[in-house]
Amino acid sequence: MSAVPSTWRTARITPLGELLAPPRIAGAVVQLTIQIVLVTALWRGLYSGTGGQSTAGLTREQAVSYAVLAVLATRLRELDRYSGRDTVIQHMHFGTIVYWFLRPLSPQRYYALRALGDQLYGLAWAVVGYAVCLAAGVIQPPVSGGAAAAFALSLLLGQWILYYIMLLIDQLCFWTLRNSAAMLILIFAQNLLSGVYAPLWYFPDWFVTLSSFLPFQATLNVPLSVYVGRIPLADVAPQLGLQAGWVALLALLTRLVWSRAARRVVSQGG
Amino acid sequence: MIAGKQTSGDIQASGDIRVRALTKTFRSSTRRPGALGTLRSLVNPLMVTKTAVEDVTFSVAPGELLALLGPNGAGKSTTIKMLTGILVPTSGEVSVAGVVPHRERERNARNIGAVFGQRTQLWWDLPARESFAILRDIYGVPEDKYRARLEEFDELLELSTFWDTRVRHLSLGQRVRCDLAAALLHDPPVVFLDEPTIGMDVVVKEQVRGFLKYQVEERGRTVLLTTHDMTEVSRLAERVVLINDGRLVMDGTLEEIRRKFGDTWLVRATLADPEAAVSGLPGIAVVQREGPRVVFGPDGPDAPTVHQALKRVIECYEVSDIALEEADLEDVMRAAYQGAGS
Repeated sequence: MSAVPSTWRTARITPLGELLAPPRIAGAVVQLTIQIVLVTALWRGLYSGTGGQSTAGLTREQAVSYAVLAVLATRLRELDRYSGRDTVIQHMHFGTIVYWFLRPLSPQRYYALRALGDQLYGLAWAVVGYAVCLAAGVIQPPVSGGAAAAFALSLLLGQWILYYIMLLIDQLCFWTLRNSAAMLILIFAQNLLSGVYAPLWYFPDWFVTLSSFLPFQATLNVPLSVYVGRIPLADVAPQLGLQAGWVALLALLTRLVWSRAARRVVSQGG
Repeated sequence: MIAGKQTSGDIQASGDIRVRALTKTFRSSTRRPGALGTLRSLVNPLMVTKTAVEDVTFSVAPGELLALLGPNGAGKSTTIKMLTGILVPTSGEVSVAGVVPHRERERNARNIGAVFGQRTQLWWDLPARESFAILRDIYGVPEDKYRARLEEFDELLELSTFWDTRVRHLSLGQRVRCDLAAALLHDPPVVFLDEPTIGMDVVVKEQVRGFLKYQVEERGRTVLLTTHDMTEVSRLAERVVLINDGRLVMDGTLEEIRRKFGDTWLVRATLADPEAAVSGLPGIAVVQREGPRVVFGPDGPDAPTVHQALKRVIECYEVSDIALEEADLEDVMRAAYQGAGS
């Protein structure tokens, strides 16, 4: 008998934990506000010396919109599970990972539901932040209706890729018991190669070429470039195809790793 | 107290546990000694095989509470992990409520509940009751049964005074009581408890023991309990399986274990004449003598019972004071562990 559909409640765990802790919400609001103000000031400042010329194919407004959207997008995956002793590494450390294998809900599905809940909750934050920034004139609306639809689809695929990347890092815990170093490298690589620190268009050609072979640029750089019009609608289809390819590849890989991880939990699960 | 058997639940499967010739070996890499050895191990790791459980056979009848005992590292937890389906046995057979756990993990999960000592399955940031609701949905427990069971658990464990508190703020005793409720919410016929009362105060321990007794006697659940608390064993278990170094040492009643490992006693006598000559009696040895104080103990396989020994000492010597000491269960188990290990 498979798990009943009402297991959706597992998706609420992290958001509910955060909603029950008002200081955490206040902290997230302050952090997001400061990041947006600083990023906006930074990019406006950088462009003030260009005399209104576009750089790397981006106008000042496009660059600010890209950078602010990138900050908002980080909220999609940055929910605090650590204080709730609910990261995979903590479950491995405390031995509570065994309970994941003792329920009529597979660890894969449980993990996926939790991630879905986290990302939907993060999306709600990002949407509110987007609306505020749009109303304040910090970011521009999408260049066209078609760009908006392509952006939404590309963002969905990008978040899907990001989910698999995070899952792979968590799966690493089943072999190493520690993933903090890998997690730090991943976060840096993700931020650098996806365009969170700066739009990839400002990097040298060799760097852009290199990043095109990695999944990170498909998580954020593609949807944000579509949004601001740096990737024209005519060129969107191959990018979406590439994102879908990454989703399929990473899905296969993580599925394979799950089956092996189930055999590892025994010796390290305490 | 709730009266009647199986008032709110309906345990579906028959909760028997069968284990035959169960063996589990682990293969892992180990480092060679020294810096050079460490470097060599990186390239060519040295693999070692460790047998955690070897050829263990026992069974637990439906509605029985069995204590699985043994010193640390004896293989108790490994056995429980194989019974819960977390571990795949290297060889042997396991059946829990008619299901082979490692082959049908999800089906097995519906038949079992588990509490692993101080490891909680509750979500740290949420109130305990929210965790119960999540588990209700995961197990697909109908709302009316869920409510009835919560009410029953509340009556037995007094959960409602703290179940709206976030788990991180609960005391150990409160948290383990919530964990017990969480493990039984789906009404499993078989329950695995790995040191459930470790670290608890005596009042909560007693409450938990009462709860477990109720679950076995009134609700007909099969319970496999591991613990180092011998009071718990004597209060709850009639039958005990003793394992050491991964092997089954004994499977029997507490009385049988006492007879095999714990038939020990001391008779402490104070002689009326401090200078009187004292020697051993048939089956009775002089363990210690300090002036008029003499300690007698059993000698050999034909040693008398403590009461026979007392009678003989009084018959043979003029004593001004005499006292008996019988081994308690803790002494018995110590003797059993040492005897099994030697």
